[in-house]
Amino acid sequence: MTRKIKVTNLQKNFDDLEVLKGIDLEIEEGEVVCLIGPSGSGKSTVLRCLNRLEDPTGGEIEINGHMMTDPKVDLNKAREDIGMVFQQFNLFANKTVKGNIMFAPVELKKMTKAEAEEKAMQLLRRVGLEEKADVYPHQLSGGQQQRVAIARALAMNPDIMLFDEPTSALDPEMVGEVLAVMKELAEGGMTMLVVTHEMGFARDVADRVIFMSDGYIVEQGTPEEIFGDPKEVRTKEFLNCVL
Amino acid sequence: MELKDFIVVFQEATGLLLDGLWVTLVVSLLAILFGLLVGLLTCFMGRSKNFILRGIAAVYVWCIRGTPMIVQAFLVFFAVPQLIQVWNPAFRIDPVTAGLITLSLNAGAYMSEIFRGGIAAVPNGQIEAARSLGLSQLRTMLKIVLPQAFKISIPSLVNQFIITIKDSSILSVIGMADLVSQARVYVGATYKFFPTYIMVALYYLIIISVLMVISKMLEKKLNYDKKN
Repeated sequence: MTRKIKVTNLQKNFDDLEVLKGIDLEIEEGEVVCLIGPSGSGKSTVLRCLNRLEDPTGGEIEINGHMMTDPKVDLNKAREDIGMVFQQFNLFANKTVKGNIMFAPVELKKMTKAEAEEKAMQLLRRVGLEEKADVYPHQLSGGQQQRVAIARALAMNPDIMLFDEPTSALDPEMVGEVLAVMKELAEGGMTMLVVTHEMGFARDVADRVIFMSDGYIVEQGTPEEIFGDPKEVRTKEFLNCVL
Repeated sequence: MELKDFIVVFQEATGLLLDGLWVTLVVSLLAILFGLLVGLLTCFMGRSKNFILRGIAAVYVWCIRGTPMIVQAFLVFFAVPQLIQVWNPAFRIDPVTAGLITLSLNAGAYMSEIFRGGIAAVPNGQIEAARSLGLSQLRTMLKIVLPQAFKISIPSLVNQFIITIKDSSILSVIGMADLVSQARVYVGATYKFFPTYIMVALYYLIIISVLMVISKMLEKKLNYDKKN
C-alpha cells in the first residue's frame, strides 16, 4: 500500500479563532475515510486545507508526492490529481452538464475535445444522467447536480477524491442517489476522504472513521470501533445525539 | 405651429441634423467601446495586489464620479491644452477629439464600477470549483468568472450605454458638432424651436430603442440560468 495523504500537525486560524489545533492524518491508497463530528469542529477546514483552498497556518501536508505546504509547490498541477465535491455542488452556471465535465480536461490539455466528450458521456452514464448532457445545471435537481459534480471531478482522473458534506444541501429523498454513486466509487478502489453527517454511509462504506471535535482528532478507528464501542466521552456524546 | 412647419423643417434641417447625428453616433459608439476597455482595465487595476495600481483606479473613479461631465469637458478641451501649451505652444485639440476623450473617460469610470459589481456577484463557489480542478487564477477569471460577470452586468451596462449616448449632447458646449449642436445652429437662424427639437428628440429615441432591442436579444441568448 502506498501512502496518498500525510498531514502533520496541521493548524489553521481564522484571525483570532483557532479552528485546527494540530491535526495528524495519514491515508493509504484505496482507503475510504469518513470525517465526522459536530458543526464547527473543523472537518471541512481540514478538507479545504488539503487542496489549499484554505492556507494552513502551520503544519505540513503531503498529497500524492506533492508537498502542498511548500511555498514552491505547483498547486495547479497538484490539484489536477485531487478531485473535490462541494456541499453546494458549484457547477459552472454558464456551462452545460457536458460542458462542466469537459471543461477542465480540455482547458488543461489533458484530452482533446472529442476524447473529453467521450469521457463525459461515459461518466454521465455511470452516474445515470446521460440524457441530461446538454441541459444547464439550474435545470437539474440537487441530487442530479451533485452527481454531475462528482462526474466533473472524476473527468480529471484524480487519484484522490475529497467530499465536503456532499449530501448536506440535498432534499432527503435525493441523498440516496448521491451516496450510491459514492459507494460505487469507493468499491472501485478510489481513495476518498469524506466529510459527512451520514452515519449510515460512514458505517457501511468507510474503512476508517475519524471523529473530530474542537479542532482536534478525538478518536479514530474502524466503523465498528467508533460506532460500536467508542472510547472517548466526546465521541459517545456526539453519537448519542446523532444516532 | 402647423404641419407645414414640420415639413419645412424636415426639408431644410434634415441634412444638417444627419451630419450631427453621425457625429453623435460615432463619438458615442467609440466612447462606449473605449469606455468598456478603460472600465475593464480599471476594474482589474482595482483588484490588483499592487497598491499603486489600486490607488490610481480609485482616484480616477472618484474624480469622474465626483465632478460633472461639463466640467470634465472644459478641463479636457480648455484647461489641459492650456497647460500643455506652456511646453508646446503649437498644441491644439479639436472638439471631437476632446469630446471623445471626455466621454470615454467618463463612461470608463462608471463601467469599471459595473464590472466590479458583476465580478463580485459571481458566487465564490464557482471560483473554488475551477481552482480545485487545477485551473489557474487567470483561466478561472477568463473562462468562468468573466462570462458570468458579463451576463450579470448587461442590464447595468446597457443603462450606461444609454447614458453615454445621451450625455454626448453635453459636448456641444465645447463646440463638438453633434446632433444638439447642429439643431442649435438651425434654430439660431430660423427660430423654429418646436419642430426642430421634436425631430432631435425622435432621433435620440430611435437610436436608444435600437440599442434596447439589441440588448434584449443578447440577454435572451445568454439565458442559461432561466427556467425554460
